[in-house]
Amino acid sequence: MTASKPATRSKNMAGPLLRGGEIAVAACEAIQEDNPEKQVVIEDHRTYVRVEAEGGLIIRRKTMEEILGRPFRMQELEVNLTGFSGQIETDENYMRWYLKLDL
Amino acid sequence: MALLDRSRWYDIARSTNWTPSYVAESELFPPDQSDPYGIPTAEWETFDEPYKVSYREYVNVQREKDAGAYSVKAALMRSQYYENADPAYLSLLKMHYGAIALSEYAACQSDARMTRFSKAPSMRNMATFGMLDELRHGQIQLYFPHQLVTLDRQFDWAHEAHHTRNWATLAGRHALDDVMMTRDAMTTSLMLNFAFETGLTNVQMIGLSADAANMGDFTFANLITSIQSDEARHAQIGTPVIEIMIRNGKKAEAQQAIDVAFWRIWRVFALLTGIPMDYWFPLEKRDRSFKEYMHEFVITQFERQLLDVGLQRPWYWEQFLDDIETHHHCQQAGIWSWRNTVWWNPTGGLGPDERDWLEQKYPGWNATHGKYWDVIIDNLRNGRPEKTEAVGMPAICNMCQIPISNKGGTQWKARIYQREHEGRRYNFCTPVCRWVFDTEPKRYKDWNTIVDRLYNGEINPPTAENILRYMGSGVVSEGGRDAHGYDWVKGYDRPGTEAAE
Repeated sequence: MTASKPATRSKNMAGPLLRGGEIAVAACEAIQEDNPEKQVVIEDHRTYVRVEAEGGLIIRRKTMEEILGRPFRMQELEVNLTGFSGQIETDENYMRWYLKLDL
Repeated sequence: MALLDRSRWYDIARSTNWTPSYVAESELFPPDQSDPYGIPTAEWETFDEPYKVSYREYVNVQREKDAGAYSVKAALMRSQYYENADPAYLSLLKMHYGAIALSEYAACQSDARMTRFSKAPSMRNMATFGMLDELRHGQIQLYFPHQLVTLDRQFDWAHEAHHTRNWATLAGRHALDDVMMTRDAMTTSLMLNFAFETGLTNVQMIGLSADAANMGDFTFANLITSIQSDEARHAQIGTPVIEIMIRNGKKAEAQQAIDVAFWRIWRVFALLTGIPMDYWFPLEKRDRSFKEYMHEFVITQFERQLLDVGLQRPWYWEQFLDDIETHHHCQQAGIWSWRNTVWWNPTGGLGPDERDWLEQKYPGWNATHGKYWDVIIDNLRNGRPEKTEAVGMPAICNMCQIPISNKGGTQWKARIYQREHEGRRYNFCTPVCRWVFDTEPKRYKDWNTIVDRLYNGEINPPTAENILRYMGSGVVSEGGRDAHGYDWVKGYDRPGTEAAE
C-alpha cells in the first residue's frame, strides 16, 4: 500500500482505521471495489492504515469473501478495526462509515 | 446447523425492560444512579446502538483478539527486546502500565454501573460487553508488564501505582474518579464513552503504536491497537445517549458533561502521551510530533464526530489549542526536575538536534521552554548535576492536580487562577480548570492536593525524605533518575552548537 494524500483534507472524510496486516490489505482492496464512485484515500502508518473518502465508505462481506477466498463474517473485521472517523453502521453483510452533516 | 441472521432476532433479544410490580421504578432505577435528567423510560427504550454485536460473536472475536496479542508476545519473548531496549523507552512502558492497567479495572466498574442502572435495555447489553472489554484490558496490561518486574522493579508500579499516593497517581485518579466513577450511568457514558474513548484514547493506543513499532516493540504496538479495537466498539454507547438527550431538551447538559470530561482527561493524557512522543523517543524513531497526532485524532477526527452528533466544540477550544503547544512541554521540564518523585526514569533527551526538531514542530520552543533547559544544560555541562534537581514543592492545581505552569523565557505566561469558596482559597492552572470547579463546587471542594497535604499535616514530618516515602518513591521501587545518565548533553560538546560557547 502506498500513501496517497490530497493537499488539503476535506471536512467530510469518514472511514475505518485498520490494524496493519493481511486483513487491512484485503479490506483496502474490498473498499476500493465497493466504493467505485469515491476517491479512496489510504494513509499507511505501518501499525494502522487510515482509509477514508468524502462522505464515508462501505465494505461488503461478499467482497471480502471474494478477495480472501474464504467465508468471512463481518464481525471478524472488528479484530482489525482499531478505530474510525465519522459514525458507524454495522450489519451482517456490510459495515458503513458515514457523516450526517455535510460541512 | 444454520444460524438465524442476527438482525432477525436482535430486537427481541435486547428488549429486556419490564414493568416493575414489587418496587417503584425510582427504586429500580434511582435517578442519581440511572438518569438525573428525568428523560422518560420510553425514550431510553429507543436507544439504538450503531455498533451491534451478539454474545456469540463477541466471545468468538475476543478470543481471536486475545490469541493474537498473546501469541505475538510469546513469539517475541525470546528476542530479549526489553533487556536491550533504550531506558527512556522502558520509561514510557512503566508510565503507561502504571497509569493505565488499573484504570481499566475502574472503567470495568463504570461499565458495570451502566449495565445495572441504565434505563435503556440496549445500552445495558452493550455495556455488558464494555465491562468485559475493560476486564480484558486490566488483565492483559497487568500480565504483559509482569515478566518485566524481574528486569526492573519500577515495572511493579503497573500493579502498585493506583494503590499509592504518588502525585501522578493522584492526578490520574482524580480525573478518572470524576468522569468514570462518581457519575450516573448516562453521564458516565457521555464522559467516558464519548469524551474519553472516542477522543483521547486514540492518540495513546493508536498513535503511540506507530512510534512503538519504529522502536521494534511489536508486542506493545500490537497490544494497544488490539485494546483499541474494543474501545472503538464500546465507545459507541455514547452516541445514542447524546441523540436521546438532545431530542429531550438536554443538549446543554450533554455539552457540559463532555466539556468537563474532555478537559479533565486531556490534562492528564498530555503528560502520558505527549511527553514520550516529543522527548523520549530517539529522534530517528519519531513518526510525528504529539501535536500532529493530536491534529489527526482529536482536532480533526474527534471534533468532526462531536459536530456530527449535534454538539459543539467545547467553549474553551482556543485555550485547548494553545495548551497543545504548551502543557506537555512544561510538564516534561517539571517532571524531569522532580524526577525522584516518579516511578519511571525520564530522560531530558534534549541534544542540539532534538531542540531543532522541537523548534520546527513547535515554533518558539527555544525562546520559551528552551530557556529553562539552557540553565539545566549549563549546570550539567559544568559539573553541577545537583543543581538540576528541584527542591521544595510546586504550586499544584486544585482541579487537575498537576503543577501550575506555562510558557517561560521570552513569554512569561505562568499565573495562578484563583477562586474563594466557603472561606478556602483554591488555585487553578487555567480558567478552564477553574470553570470545572465552578460547575459543581460541592463535588470538588474537599479534595486536598499533595501540597495541601503537606500544609495540613497529613504528610508529617514534612521532610523531603518523608514526602517521597508518602508518594511511594523508594518504597515500591527506587524513584526516577535521568534515563540516560545525562548523556544527552554530550551533543553540545560538538563545535558550533548553540550551547557550546
